[in-house]
Amino acid sequence: MKRARNVVAAATTVTLALALSACASGDTPADDSGETAAEEAPAGDIRVWLVGSDTPEEAREHLKTTFEAENEGSTLTIEEQSWTGLVDKYTTALSGSDSPDLVEIGNTQAPAFTSAGAFLDLTDSYEELGGDDLLPGFVESGSFEGQFYAAPYYSGARVGIYSTEITGDVEVPATWDEYLANIETLASDEVSGLYTPGKDWRNGMVFVWANGGDIATVDDSGTWTGGFSSPESITGLEQLQDVMLNSNHAPADSDETDPQVPFCAGEIGYLTAPSWVRWSIAAAEDAEVPGCLETYGAEDKLSAFAIPGAEEGTYAPVLAGGSNIAIPTNAPNPELARSALEIILSDDYQEILAANGLVPAKVSQAEFMADDAFSQASAAAAAAAQLTPASPLWADVEASGVLEDSFVKLAQGEDVATVAAELDAEIEGTLNG
Amino acid sequence: MTTTPAAPKAPPEAFVRPPQELRTKKSSPFPYALLTPALAVLAVLVAWPILKLLVTSFQEYGRAQAFGAPPEWVGLDNYVEVLTSGEFYAVLARSVGFMVVAVVLTMTLGTLVALLMIRLGKAMRMLVTVGLLLAWAMPALSTVMVWGWMFDTRYGVVNYLLTQVTGSDWAGHSWLIEPLSFFLVLGLIVVWMGVPFIAFTMYAGLTQVPVETLEASQLDGANARQRFFQIQVPFVRSIIIVLIVLSVIWDLRVFAQVYALQGIGGLYEKTSTLGVWIYQKGTASGDFGFAAAAAVVMVFIMLLISLYYVRQTLKEDD
Repeated sequence: MKRARNVVAAATTVTLALALSACASGDTPADDSGETAAEEAPAGDIRVWLVGSDTPEEAREHLKTTFEAENEGSTLTIEEQSWTGLVDKYTTALSGSDSPDLVEIGNTQAPAFTSAGAFLDLTDSYEELGGDDLLPGFVESGSFEGQFYAAPYYSGARVGIYSTEITGDVEVPATWDEYLANIETLASDEVSGLYTPGKDWRNGMVFVWANGGDIATVDDSGTWTGGFSSPESITGLEQLQDVMLNSNHAPADSDETDPQVPFCAGEIGYLTAPSWVRWSIAAAEDAEVPGCLETYGAEDKLSAFAIPGAEEGTYAPVLAGGSNIAIPTNAPNPELARSALEIILSDDYQEILAANGLVPAKVSQAEFMADDAFSQASAAAAAAAQLTPASPLWADVEASGVLEDSFVKLAQGEDVATVAAELDAEIEGTLNG
Repeated sequence: MTTTPAAPKAPPEAFVRPPQELRTKKSSPFPYALLTPALAVLAVLVAWPILKLLVTSFQEYGRAQAFGAPPEWVGLDNYVEVLTSGEFYAVLARSVGFMVVAVVLTMTLGTLVALLMIRLGKAMRMLVTVGLLLAWAMPALSTVMVWGWMFDTRYGVVNYLLTQVTGSDWAGHSWLIEPLSFFLVLGLIVVWMGVPFIAFTMYAGLTQVPVETLEASQLDGANARQRFFQIQVPFVRSIIIVLIVLSVIWDLRVFAQVYALQGIGGLYEKTSTLGVWIYQKGTASGDFGFAAAAAVVMVFIMLLISLYYVRQTLKEDD
């Protein structure tokens, strides 16, 4: 009896598994229409992966309509990805058979993929795509061993954002010391002088760099040495810890997502963030993601400054933010993807990005930047921006979460020197393979 | 699972024997022929990935290999690296510790809810059933998000209520930053999601216990506790074993809940369980060989645990 029953049960399970897998395979794209109708590329449906909400809606619309007008019969779908866990996602998605056609990737993450052969070699089209007009730092992050794989998409430096409703009479700081003093002045029981959630190492890095410290340095033999334990870095981390503990209400283990929530609650004095965060703050109160256009985010109150350096007139090095854009090696329609890439690098498209506070992909397109406080601060900060260590293994350091953990420990008040030494050891362990 | 509750209903062994033997002799190959195509699919879907995992665990396999570079054979290097890293044992101990607590809590609460359901009237039982089903049907990720918001440091309802009730200031208390309270919240989520299945299965099992036996014992003067431990539990013993083994495996390889909760708060290095740790080493950091070796070790641990259950089932089948 029982054995027969087992067989029936097994048969049922297997049938179910079959049915389920049949469902799962139902939506495999039916491409390969085969015929070379157009002379350049066969019509097809391409998928573009953009990350986060940084790309404004208007630009997405422009990309889609322009692409579909230029490539008759083809369609373009934008699929938005999340910054969290992006390296993991791309590692699996781009190496598989269901790869998208065009992907945006953070500039510090790009080397992990260019070095692995995940992207199509664009060296031959370098001149066509813009040549030396392309942002140099991003060409560098998109290149590996002399070959060019990932084009610049946009850049955005981190600026100090504030609302005069909170800062009142406090003057915009002109030097690093003034900046620290202002943070202390602005802090109260309700207000964070500087909003510093523990996991936000990207915005925390300015403290290290402003004091002359570094993440890691490489010697002639290619061996990396962690730089967080240097006296300069320690000074910076101590200043950061002081701010975290005494002038900040952001939770020690939260990250930098959705800063508009505390900002719009009137709980933030200074916020360091990429300049496009202003649009989250200056969103309408009844928007899908609500901001505070009527109060703290009003046009005459919301403003920004480039974080000042030690001397008046200089600027502190912030982490260069921004993205590269590339065609995966496994892209089903690389020709069409290239056509979309050209639209993305065109003046029309980049003008929309510039109007939204992003630094365009080409040097010549900087003229599209609006002449307001945010754009000026962005431009000044971008000029002083720093990159993460130029190693293909750097993305692994970021993906391991060790930077977040270390900065959370600082926010908890742990000993700076110990945390720095442990962090250096982890970084050296990863970068030196 | 549906086959197990039938066990207690089976008549004494002597009656079962003859027909079963008869059956075995007459067994025709037909059902197995029917199964063949489906088994082939399973071989592709299940056996191939496992084989691939085994192969990878003996290779130096990084991101470049994932994109087509030829992998290099390194023998047992990955296993040596896993088994000699202190991190592995810390993660293993953490996972096992969490699993034990979670399984005990889930089983106890699930059984209590099942006992409650037996005693409830129709309307109330329906209410409890619907409530349990809702918790059971909730996707893991959504669950973590909702609980994460409730325990939010700045704006969470838990801190708000604690402040209201206790009078002391809980605003800004971080629940996830201390590993112990991180696992408290995680345990809450995992147990909350696990109880419905245990409760339903136990309820199904317990309702199969013959009423006459219970009544007889009651007449003999057995109290509720004695009836439970000496009559009901032995009757559903095989169900309990299955449930424990399943819970052990589920709670040991818990992934989505930990991964999502780490995104909300807490330190990665002090809260990673086996599944998440392997993921961080493999997919995130691009060391697939190491991660595959760790995964194989984990599979072996799981196998050891389920071995007891498999032997138990085989014994019953004889």
